[in-house]
Amino acid sequence: MSSRAGTVSLLALLLACGGEQGTVYRVDHAGHPVDVVAPATRIVSLSPSLTELLFAIGAGDRIVGRTRWGALPRAAEAVPSVGDGLSPNLETILAREPDVVVLYHTPTNAATIDRLRAVGVATLSVRMDRLEDVPEAARLLADVLGDLPGADTLADRFEVRLDSLRRRTVPSGSGPSVAILAWDAPPVVIGGGSFLSQLLELAGAHNVFADLDVPSATVSLESIAHRDPDVLLLVGGGEPTVLDRAEWRTVSAVEEGQILSLDGDSYSWPSLRSLDLVEELSGAIRGVRS
Amino acid sequence: MTRWLLLFSTALGTIVVGVAVGPSGLDLRSVVGGVLGSAGEPTVTIVRDLRVPRVLLAFLVGGSLGVTGAALQALVRNPLADPYLLGLSGGAGLGAVTAIALGAASPWAVPLAALVGSLGAIALVYRLALIAGAGLDVRVLLLAGVVIGAFAASLMGAIMALVPAPEVRNALLWLLGSFSRASWPAVLLFAVYAAVPLVILYRLARPLDLLTLGEEPAGYLGANVARTRRTLYVMASLLTAVAVALSGIIGFVGLIVPHAARFTWSRLHQTLLPATFLLGGSLMVIADAVARTAFAPLELPVGVVTALIGVPVFVALIRKWAA
Repeated sequence: MSSRAGTVSLLALLLACGGEQGTVYRVDHAGHPVDVVAPATRIVSLSPSLTELLFAIGAGDRIVGRTRWGALPRAAEAVPSVGDGLSPNLETILAREPDVVVLYHTPTNAATIDRLRAVGVATLSVRMDRLEDVPEAARLLADVLGDLPGADTLADRFEVRLDSLRRRTVPSGSGPSVAILAWDAPPVVIGGGSFLSQLLELAGAHNVFADLDVPSATVSLESIAHRDPDVLLLVGGGEPTVLDRAEWRTVSAVEEGQILSLDGDSYSWPSLRSLDLVEELSGAIRGVRS
Repeated sequence: MTRWLLLFSTALGTIVVGVAVGPSGLDLRSVVGGVLGSAGEPTVTIVRDLRVPRVLLAFLVGGSLGVTGAALQALVRNPLADPYLLGLSGGAGLGAVTAIALGAASPWAVPLAALVGSLGAIALVYRLALIAGAGLDVRVLLLAGVVIGAFAASLMGAIMALVPAPEVRNALLWLLGSFSRASWPAVLLFAVYAAVPLVILYRLARPLDLLTLGEEPAGYLGANVARTRRTLYVMASLLTAVAVALSGIIGFVGLIVPHAARFTWSRLHQTLLPATFLLGGSLMVIADAVARTAFAPLELPVGVVTALIGVPVFVALIRKWAA
C-alpha cells in the first residue's frame, strides 16, 4: 500500500511539472491524486477535527459545509451543516457547490470518496489519528487549498513544542498507570493508536492498553482489573456510572476512587490545541493521586 | 440415568472451564486459590467477583433462552421460532437505544429501559393476538410479533440515525450482547426472577407435548389450549425480557439448542425442557469463554460467537433432518 502510494506520489510530481498554471497536483492519504484549483474557496468538511484545523489555519471563512456534530470552534456553528460525516447525504453536499470535500482518512469513507469523485467532486482524505498527523495535515491542507501562509508556521511551532515535551517526558513505566475508558458496558478502552495515549505519555503517565495499536477496542472487564491501572480516565463526556456498579469495584482504581472524568470536546480528536491539554492532564492525574 | 449424569457433568465441566480460563491468563493453581480465597488480592477479586458471577449468569441466561426457545417452538409449531421471534428483541433494543441516546446516567438505566421496551412489545403483541380470539391464534400471534418487532426496529433505526456517531457505536455493541455487566447482584436478581417462569413452563410440559400434535388433538386429549398458549407466551416472554435486559440480544442459543436436545434427547417436554436448560447454559458458558479469551484482552460480542458456533451446528441439523 505504502509503496503504491509512493509510486503515485512520484507520478503526481511528474504530472505537476507539466501541469497547468494554478493547478496543484497532490496525493492525499487515501492515495487519490487531488486536482484542486487553488485557492479553493468553497470547502465542505466531513470531519469535526478537520473543521477545527481549517479554522485554526485561517481557512474557516472558506468552509461552506460542516458535519452536524462537533462544531468547534464556536465560529463553526455558523457554517451550514451537511449532516453526518460517515455515510453523508450526497445531495446536500453537492448543493453547497464545493471546490473540494475534505474527509477523515478511514476505510469507512472509501465508498463516500468514490461516489463524490464519480460525480466530479474533488476530495481530500487526511489522516488525523496521532499527534504528529496534526502538523502534517495542516501543511497538506495549506498546500492543496492554497493561500494559507500561516499554516506552515503553526505546524512548525506544534512540532517544536511536541519535540520539547517529548524530551521532557520521563521514561515510560515510572509514572502512574492509566486506563482510558470510552464506554463502560461492554468496556471500550483507548489503545496506543490514539493521540490520547500519546497525550498521556507526554503527561508523564502510561496507558495500560498502549499495546493495542488501534485507537479504541472492546476489552473484557477482567483484563482491566488484571492490568490494574492506578487511575481510570473517563473520556467521551459520559457519566461515571462505573462507580455504582458491583462488577466495576473489582478494578482497584474504582474501589479507591481514582477516577478522572474529562470534558468530551477537547479530548475527542487531535488538534493544534491538543498539546495545551498535557499540563491539564498531568495536573489532573496528580490531583486524583494525592 | 447415565444420560442425565452425562448432561450434568457436561454442564458442571463447562462451568469449571469457564471459571478456569480468562484474559488475565491466571494458571490453574491461582484460579483454585482465587476460588478458595487463599490466593493474593487481585486474583481473589478477579476469580470470585468477575469470573464466577459471569459464568453463572451466562449459564442461567443460556439455559433460559434454550427453554424459552423450546416452549415457543411448541407454541407456534414452527421449528424456526426463537425467544426473539415475537417482537421482543425490537422492543428491548428500542428501549436500550433510547436510554443510550438520552445519555442514561444511572447504572441500571439501560437494562431497565430494555426491560420496559420488551414488556411494551409483549403487551402489544399479546393484545393484537387476542383480537382474533382468546385462544391466541398462532398465525395472528406470529404476525403480530413480527410486525411489532419491525416497528420497534425502525423506530430504533431512526433514533440511531439521529444521535451522534459514538452513541450509535455503543448502542450497536449493546445489541450484539455481552456478559460484561455480570455481577453477584445481577446473578441473584436473575436467579430469583427466572425461577418462577421456569417452574411454570416446566409444569406445562404435558400440555406442550399435546400442543405439538395440533390444536384439535390437544383439545381432545384434555389440554386447555387457549389457557396453555396464553400462559406459555407470557412466561416465555417475561423470561426472555430479563435475559435481554441483563445481557443484550444473543441469538442462536434459543434456536438451535432445543433442536439439538430433541435430536439427541427426547421430544417429551418433561425431559426436553431440563435437557435444553443444561445444554443451553453449557453452550453459552463456552461461547462466553471463547469471547473473553480468543483475542484477549479484546473481547468479542458473545452473540457473534454463539452464531459462529450455532450456524454450523444448525446446518448439520438441517442436513440430518432433511435426510
